[in-house]
Amino acid sequence: MATDRATAAPILACSELRKSFGDRVAVDGVSFAIAPSETYGLLGPNGAGKTTTISMICGTLVRDGGTVHVAGQPVDVGAVEAKRHIGYVPQDLAIYPELSARENLRFFGQLYGLGGADLKHRVDEILETIGLTDRADERTDGFSGGMKRRLNIGIGLLNRPRLLVLDEPTVGVDPQSRNAILASVEELGRQGMAILYTTHYMEEAERLCDRVGIIDSGQIKAEGTRRQLVGLIGQKDRVDLTASGELEAAADALRGLDGVDEATPHEGGIGILVTDARSILPRLLEVVSAAGASVNGVEIVEPDLEAVFLHLTGRALRD
Amino acid sequence: MRAALVIAAKDLRQRLRDRTAIVVAVIAPFGLAAIFSMLLGGTDDPISFTYAYADADGSEITAGLREGGLAALEEAGIATVVEADSPDAARDLVDDGEADAALIVPSGFGAALVAGQGADLEIVGSTDAGFATQVLGAVAEGFVAEVEAVRLSVATAAEALAEPPSPERFAELAERAAATSSPIRVEPVAVDVRQMSSTTFYAASMAIFFLFFTAQFGVLSLLAERRVGTLPRLAAAPIPSWSIVLGKAIGSFVLGIVAMAVLVTASSFLLGAEWGNPFGVALLVLGAVLSAMGITALIATLARTEEQAGGWNSIVAVTMGILGGTFFDLGQGPEALAILSRITPHAWFLEGLDILSAPSAGPAELAVPVAFLVGIGLVTGAIGLARARSLVVRR
Repeated sequence: MATDRATAAPILACSELRKSFGDRVAVDGVSFAIAPSETYGLLGPNGAGKTTTISMICGTLVRDGGTVHVAGQPVDVGAVEAKRHIGYVPQDLAIYPELSARENLRFFGQLYGLGGADLKHRVDEILETIGLTDRADERTDGFSGGMKRRLNIGIGLLNRPRLLVLDEPTVGVDPQSRNAILASVEELGRQGMAILYTTHYMEEAERLCDRVGIIDSGQIKAEGTRRQLVGLIGQKDRVDLTASGELEAAADALRGLDGVDEATPHEGGIGILVTDARSILPRLLEVVSAAGASVNGVEIVEPDLEAVFLHLTGRALRD
Repeated sequence: MRAALVIAAKDLRQRLRDRTAIVVAVIAPFGLAAIFSMLLGGTDDPISFTYAYADADGSEITAGLREGGLAALEEAGIATVVEADSPDAARDLVDDGEADAALIVPSGFGAALVAGQGADLEIVGSTDAGFATQVLGAVAEGFVAEVEAVRLSVATAAEALAEPPSPERFAELAERAAATSSPIRVEPVAVDVRQMSSTTFYAASMAIFFLFFTAQFGVLSLLAERRVGTLPRLAAAPIPSWSIVLGKAIGSFVLGIVAMAVLVTASSFLLGAEWGNPFGVALLVLGAVLSAMGITALIATLARTEEQAGGWNSIVAVTMGILGGTFFDLGQGPEALAILSRITPHAWFLEGLDILSAPSAGPAELAVPVAFLVGIGLVTGAIGLARARSLVVRR
């Protein structure tokens, strides 16, 4: 599969995307490509430029610079042909509360050129897929949050897109619905759909994505598979100290220790990258106490994308 | 175009489920028109009385009463005269409510008049029909005055003769006096009167006043789509961005036309409003809907939020409604106000209907009001639609 992806023409190719709102640069030279049947994640904190990037890819926002091609077709705000290949699931619940689930699906299906028996068949198919067949003719303002989320995703699948764009689809969703959504995305990926998935949840990116682009301040800091990204910072362990007191001074002192690569204070503690957490932990605690900070808890974690993000940006994803 | 129609159909379905649209578009204007018409309009119904008539005298003189004044009332469509067999039968008709009043000629009435003696005509009126009784009394007095004039003429002529005339000569004089026409005549002249009835005025006023609330639904729904997050999904669909704006405009247009058509029809059948030539009314409604759509689109697209747009449009609608003469007759205000009202579609719409209230008026007489209505709609609408498109295409 990897060889196929490497040789196949990308479903999405965007190059040097730029967008500013007044003096604020939202997206600054973003470039990446997605191969057929690949799930690509844009991982970054709120305000990193994920939604702005997606808006330019889907042709809903005029860009300042750069190019976007989907299935070989150039994308712009007026590009009708390229948009036929995109299924877009916005972060907000983009459904009409006064209409039923079926009416919502029929409406958007018609906008994508479906009609007659094909539209009816496809709507029934999507209702089955998202598990809303029994509630199909009820107004959606009576739906639970999870049901609305499922319908929101279902609308994005109506046109059998070659590229499915999901903008933080699990924000504000209860754990059970969230797990169902992630399972659906995994299944779509297995079926061969190319997926662009944005999230600020590291575990979602790790679970779903073949490749991840780490985005911050409108720039892609690094991209690759999880293994490639973790490799960027070496096979390091991460020690999270829950602490209070002189955190800045403690972090400075930790940076002077052999075996400590990074020490970053944040609200409520210090994040530390080390070569071997277990052997160095007693020394870490000793130095932190000596610097005037009180340690209330310790967590040791294997290297993950959160650590990569910390390494690349100097701050945590949740910041 | 197909996408625009799909969007318009979706919008109309939403509006129908949102009952406030029906209230604003139809129920409120119709209800207020009915209330205003009842409270302030007086009655526009034509006068129609039923009179009982009993002639117990049966003389040649009293025949003139039936064939003169009463027949004239019937010919004018003011009254229906029911001839009773006897004075009691006439009184019974009034008592039973089958007649508003009765005119009873007693036996010997004609002979008493000829003899120069006093004679009474009896008028019986229903307590609920004072005006009908007054009219009948006036007819009777007119008849008495005419008989008196003949009697005086004959008496004057007889006085001028050297010797008293023979009975034959006396009758001839009386006949000639009665046949002499008055040198002063009041002739009703038919003119092409332009005056809307009060019912029509209030129906039309409320219709165009509320049209400005109905016509804003399209552009407000565009702002609502942005608020709830469906607008980016529409913009991501494989359709031209103008089709989204066009769809909203079509939705507003259809809603405005349907609301006005329902109001015109309902007020005609239920309130008795007389809108005039149907083709002329259709032209005025078309122009009014276009102008309301244009102005509301322009105002709403200057706003940032749906609530702000709705508020601004309400202010503009009320101001223009007052200025345009939807609540009072502009002719009663200062001349400057009448001139200023010409900037509002309301004034042109009512002016057009006033023109149509003349019986012979048709679409050809509406060129000026319709041109102003459509012109206002096109100018403001072009700016509004251009601004609305910028809501769809984010920059």
